[in-house]
Amino acid sequence: MIEYSENERRMVLKLVYYGPALSGKTTNLLQLHEQLTRQGRGELMVLDTSGDRTIYFDLLPFFLTAPSGLKIKVKVYTVPGQVCHDATRKAVLQRADGIAFVADSHPGEAQSNFASFDNLERNLVLVGLDIDSTPLVIQFNKRDLPDAVPEQEIRKVWGPTGIPVLMASAINGEGVADTFATLAGLVYDRIDARFNLLAEHGLARDSFVLQLTTLREEEP
Amino acid sequence: MTSRYRLDFVVGEEKNLRELLLDSDVLPLLHGALRAGAGSARLLDQDGEELWVASAPQGRGELLARLPLLLEGEPVAHLELHGEKLIEDRLHPLAALLCVALDTVLRNNLKRILTTEIHTSVVNSSHEELLRINAELSKSEARYRELAEGLELRVKERSAELRRAQARMLQQEKMAAIGQLAAGVAHEINNPLGFITSNLHTLQKYVGRFCAMLQFYREHLDLDLPRQVLIAESDQKWRELKLSHVTADVGDLMSQSLSGAERVSRIVSDLKGFSHVDESGEAPVDLNQELERTLGVLSHALAGRAEVVRELQPLPPLTCQGQLPGQIFLNLIQNALTHAGEAPRITLSSCFDGNRIRISIADNGKGVPAPLRSQIFEPFFTTLPVGSGTGMGLAVVWEAVLKLRGTIAVADAPGGGADFIITIPLRKE
Repeated sequence: MIEYSENERRMVLKLVYYGPALSGKTTNLLQLHEQLTRQGRGELMVLDTSGDRTIYFDLLPFFLTAPSGLKIKVKVYTVPGQVCHDATRKAVLQRADGIAFVADSHPGEAQSNFASFDNLERNLVLVGLDIDSTPLVIQFNKRDLPDAVPEQEIRKVWGPTGIPVLMASAINGEGVADTFATLAGLVYDRIDARFNLLAEHGLARDSFVLQLTTLREEEP
Repeated sequence: MTSRYRLDFVVGEEKNLRELLLDSDVLPLLHGALRAGAGSARLLDQDGEELWVASAPQGRGELLARLPLLLEGEPVAHLELHGEKLIEDRLHPLAALLCVALDTVLRNNLKRILTTEIHTSVVNSSHEELLRINAELSKSEARYRELAEGLELRVKERSAELRRAQARMLQQEKMAAIGQLAAGVAHEINNPLGFITSNLHTLQKYVGRFCAMLQFYREHLDLDLPRQVLIAESDQKWRELKLSHVTADVGDLMSQSLSGAERVSRIVSDLKGFSHVDESGEAPVDLNQELERTLGVLSHALAGRAEVVRELQPLPPLTCQGQLPGQIFLNLIQNALTHAGEAPRITLSSCFDGNRIRISIADNGKGVPAPLRSQIFEPFFTTLPVGSGTGMGLAVVWEAVLKLRGTIAVADAPGGGADFIITIPLRKE
């Protein structure tokens, strides 16, 4: 957690989209920005990219207020996936409250997925986060690829980890909001256990998730 | 968050407006509003506190426009423009324009600061990584240096140990040579001593008979016997005591014993001369005489066994420690005897060319093969079977020649065999 101030009745959470290079982390954020209602979210900030490669990170902030008046700001980040930007990944990962791991469904990327997940585990240790208690979801992106690895196979490999696995095609906007909602639910459980969101602030899990993921109705 | 030596950031940490906007970013814009006719232009935070303000001297008038300023999508401040009600139509678009301008500056500053922060934390962590690698390298370098220094010390210790062992071996070799020499000389002395003792025994017996004869005469003179009887009885006694034979033998025995004693005394004097026991420090030495003395003390080994050829020319005296030439010659001649084969012939030659004395000791053995010539003077080098030679004999020679400031080399003797050539420069006094 980045910030919690009881006096100011303010809480700032950090969620991180992690994963191998070109797996579609930024596309996830672009789609969230596109699909979710303007109410309660800020602008997407894309920090200097080179071509379609993220060098620093992208940031999409969300806001919601609990019935108690507690203001919660959720900052969603992407990390650069390329191996050479490991120090940046570590810096962005610091004090994260939840992680969405975006994997690539292309059969040739299986190795990169494993390497990146391994890198995530290592970096979590380095920044002092416990992988078992940190909310984590896995999204297998690019389901639209004709030769995508079959879902059954993916579930066979990743299912035993106990981590929720979701299918997505971010470029078509499919599965993006689901992934975010699943992660938001897990993050709520974690924060509720520590800060009594329901008991003290009257904020229920459904309400928390719904406020973050209400789909846009009006045209901009 | 700022410490004196490094900057720490957490990506995502909240920033306030004062951190993100400078006076120089905001005030020119607010003053621009005044120039456009506004009475005052202000930025207030969410609690209504003034952050930046620009006011015209004639007073601000009434509030005409109030617009929110967003940071990361969150309202963080409000822009307020005051002025005459008359220009409200003009101030509204101006307020909107100012908001867009402030928002652009704010957004760009935020991006710049976030970029700088992450860049700084990447540089910091790279720097820490480098420091860690450097520390590890220094540590391993220190370990290797320690190891290397220890190694040097150990090599020094072992070298000193080896030098001591070698010196001990050389000393032992000298003692062994003396021991051998002593055994040979003992044998040489024992021989004459043996027959001198045996002669003395015989002479003791003879003296007893002479005494018996003399006793006979004294007793018979007192009896006053007729001369004929006396002569007959004394002849009788003379024959009993075999005195004719005894008197003939005594001369031989005496001269034999004397010559034996002389031989012993000559050997002792050779030995004394060879060992230079009476001398301390340096004295002039005739190397030809030293050669002869060495032959003398080795006579037990040479006599009747080896042929010694002398080709000695007169030499000037060499001032040196007296025992050194003997050590050299003894070892070389013994070496020649060992390697000379069935009928040893040892050729000793000496000459002086005006500057240097040259002494050669050659044998008629198999000679020294060329590849071994550079090794034979090294300690422990021997061609003899294990246990037969210490390999120190020629090392002793090498050391002694060095003390004489000379050189020694081995060459082929004419007609086969080894020829050891010692060259000693004569010091100009």
